[in-house]
Amino acid sequence: MDEKKLSYFEQYRDIIPQFDKFLESLKTPQPYWIRVNTLKISEEALINRLQRKGFVFEIFGELNAYRVVDMPVKHPGSTLEHSLGYYYVQDLASMVPVLALQSKKGDRVLDMCAAPGSKTTMIAEIMGNKGCIIANDANYRRLKSLAGNIERLGITNVIITNRDARNADFGVLFDRILIDAPCSGEGVFRKNPWGFRQITEREHRFLASNQKKMMKNAVRHLKDNGRIVYSTCTFSPTENESVVKYAVEKLNMRVVDVDVPVPHCEGVESWRSEDFSEIRRHVMRIYPHIVDTGGMFIAVLEKR
Amino acid sequence: MQFSRKDEFREYFVNKFGIPHEVMENYTFWQRGKKVWAFCGIPCTVEDVEILGIRALKISGDVKPSTVFLRVVGKYATRNVIDLNETDAMEFMKGKTIFGNFDAERGYVIVRCNKEALGCGFYTGEGIVSQIPKEYRIQDSWV
Ligand SMILES: C[S@@+](CC[C@H](N)C(=O)[O-])C[C@H]1O[C@@H](n2cnc3c(N)ncnc32)[C@H](O)[C@@H]1O
Repeated sequence: MDEKKLSYFEQYRDIIPQFDKFLESLKTPQPYWIRVNTLKISEEALINRLQRKGFVFEIFGELNAYRVVDMPVKHPGSTLEHSLGYYYVQDLASMVPVLALQSKKGDRVLDMCAAPGSKTTMIAEIMGNKGCIIANDANYRRLKSLAGNIERLGITNVIITNRDARNADFGVLFDRILIDAPCSGEGVFRKNPWGFRQITEREHRFLASNQKKMMKNAVRHLKDNGRIVYSTCTFSPTENESVVKYAVEKLNMRVVDVDVPVPHCEGVESWRSEDFSEIRRHVMRIYPHIVDTGGMFIAVLEKR
Repeated sequence: MQFSRKDEFREYFVNKFGIPHEVMENYTFWQRGKKVWAFCGIPCTVEDVEILGIRALKISGDVKPSTVFLRVVGKYATRNVIDLNETDAMEFMKGKTIFGNFDAERGYVIVRCNKEALGCGFYTGEGIVSQIPKEYRIQDSWV
């Protein structure tokens, strides 16, 4: 492992619990997790089929999340069952924002930054293909993979749009809005350490200013009793707690506690002289040394 | 180009494949140019959208059903549906033609194996030409 790349994370020594263990975890490759597409097949039936083909899984509690311990192919998607849309390769941490969203069958949901659709397809599955999901992404080229995944999984309640989540008018109000924001991606380091690029604080702040615009636009589209889930796959508090604090202080939102069955930590107390003591207990940070996943930040917001 | 609602395309699936009305009524159909999409749920906005639901039909020249939608409703089909054994099914999924006489009209058919809909085939009377799109074909190294 490139020590120089790892040294980038030293800036978080004081805010990430058991930091040395965290650094060690970054040196190990991230395992694959899969989620069964229960719109097409039961968990038991699919897992049995894949086990018969030589896959070995570790089951995660009661969740529809299976860690691939061993497999007879190079990539977990190289199977007939994957082509038929019976499962989706998705990191456990990336399932948590959807679990926190708690969408219901008839809901109207907006997924502001949806491509390639890991979370969209999971939301659709939870909603049993009912209601309506608008899956939006500003990057036209990425819509192809989003549409491809939706089709492969046989999802029929999604409408795809190609707008800028910072200012687009989606024309209706929503029960649930997911902002899985574009971020610096520090939490996916284990997945692709070669591609990781060091980020300056200036870049974090630039990303945060976009994330705040998306938050503001999400609030504008939220029903009074609706819920926003804000998530990133990065550790930088500038892109996480700071954005949530903005929603609380400037947009009249409150952070609500939601139970999710994946071990997580509280938010950070302060960062670069910004204080987060008001919100930190209500936000969730998922770390690779606590569960064998990527990193993730999740906050659930409702109108005050 | 905008989508316009054309629920009459439901009948294609009822007439050609014997899929019950009750199943097809879950879907609304939306045309844009030479393609038709199927959507279930409440279409909360249809203006200025890129995609609405899932591709169901291509209507340039002949009417061709999509593999992805046949995989959704194909299990309910009672006509023009061909059940393959597992060996032939894997070949079909690789994009190969399966030769033989089957109980179906010439034209597009639903291909299944162990009751699972694999997708669209074209029955010539002498064999089934796989219509599985490239991105869904399986490779020799797969399991
Ligand atoms: C973290 S990824 C989303 C991953 C996706 N939610 C999933 O689970 O598969 C962030 C996405 O935001 C999109 N994006 C970037 N800027 C955007 C903007 N201004 N409006 C909407 N989407 C944007 C990117 O194209 C990218 O696909």
